[in-house]
Amino acid sequence: MNRKLLALAPLLVFVLLCVFLYQGLFANPRELQTGRIGQAMPAFNLPDLMDESTRWTDSDLKGEVYLLNVWGTWCPTCLAELGYLTELREQGVKIVGLYYEQGYDPDFDGQFDINALREDVTSMLNRAGDPYQFNILDLKRTLALDLGVSGAPETFLVDKQGTILLHHTGDINPRVWRAKFAPLMQELQ
Amino acid sequence: MRLVIFLASLLITFSAFAEQDKYQFDDKEQAVRFSELTKELRCPKCQNQNIADSDAVVAKDLRDKVLALVKDGKTKDEVIDYMIDRYGYFVHYDPPVTPATLVLWVLPVLIVVLGFGFIVLRQRKASVKQTWTEQDEALLAKLIEQNQRQEQS
Repeated sequence: MNRKLLALAPLLVFVLLCVFLYQGLFANPRELQTGRIGQAMPAFNLPDLMDESTRWTDSDLKGEVYLLNVWGTWCPTCLAELGYLTELREQGVKIVGLYYEQGYDPDFDGQFDINALREDVTSMLNRAGDPYQFNILDLKRTLALDLGVSGAPETFLVDKQGTILLHHTGDINPRVWRAKFAPLMQELQ
Repeated sequence: MRLVIFLASLLITFSAFAEQDKYQFDDKEQAVRFSELTKELRCPKCQNQNIADSDAVVAKDLRDKVLALVKDGKTKDEVIDYMIDRYGYFVHYDPPVTPATLVLWVLPVLIVVLGFGFIVLRQRKASVKQTWTEQDEALLAKLIEQNQRQEQS
């Protein structure tokens, strides 16, 4: 009896290995754990994308549940999610844009013109839908770094006290919204 | 031959200078710390590259931040903690021992211990079973004698 059990051991190990590897097929390597969940929104003081005389700080955003959506006109996935985000805005979700610019950096493009960027943004939002209450311009990507942003699109869910509850990498679509955001939003209402 | 070696050594020093030119450091110790850190920190965007190696925007931002922190006189651990605070444990190639990662350290040791345990147990079992009686002794003597006789003839 004992011997038979022992002979089965390699098979058992094999099956366990198969289960482990099989679930690896569906794991998303972009789904990263991030350092900021459960922590307060980092302090910042940055200009508005459309009007540099307006400045936004972390305390301006307190008091309401909102999504902070990192995006850029250069990013095709961001364009793809604009439509659904606009639907969410119509349902009453507050969405603030954090504009992730890379052309400003001399190491990448160095060709930066704020007026051209504003035109670009306006035409894209007119075409695809405008989900944003307003957009924060993070030219040097300091807030992005403090938030642990690795690219665009990324979205944070922040509660009334300014605590970050969720950090989603990739686009927001109905499936992602139902699975990740909707349950938390319901709790917050 | 000597000339070739001399020229080759010149090449090496020039490339080393080129790397230092791009980033200015106050002393050599800072340069070393910077180079170690950028090799140990992992790019969150282009996975499986360190930030020294990657051309992604975020890797450049992290390099610049590491440079600023190193010049500020921050120690290696302080810089790593700063990055983990923002990008999670993923950003460092050396994962910490936590309940979730404990299996990485325990499993290999466990497998070795169990394997050796199994071998020892088997051997002990096998040696216990073998008994040596006088009959066996006699048989052995007889066989040796037979063998010797065969050789002589």
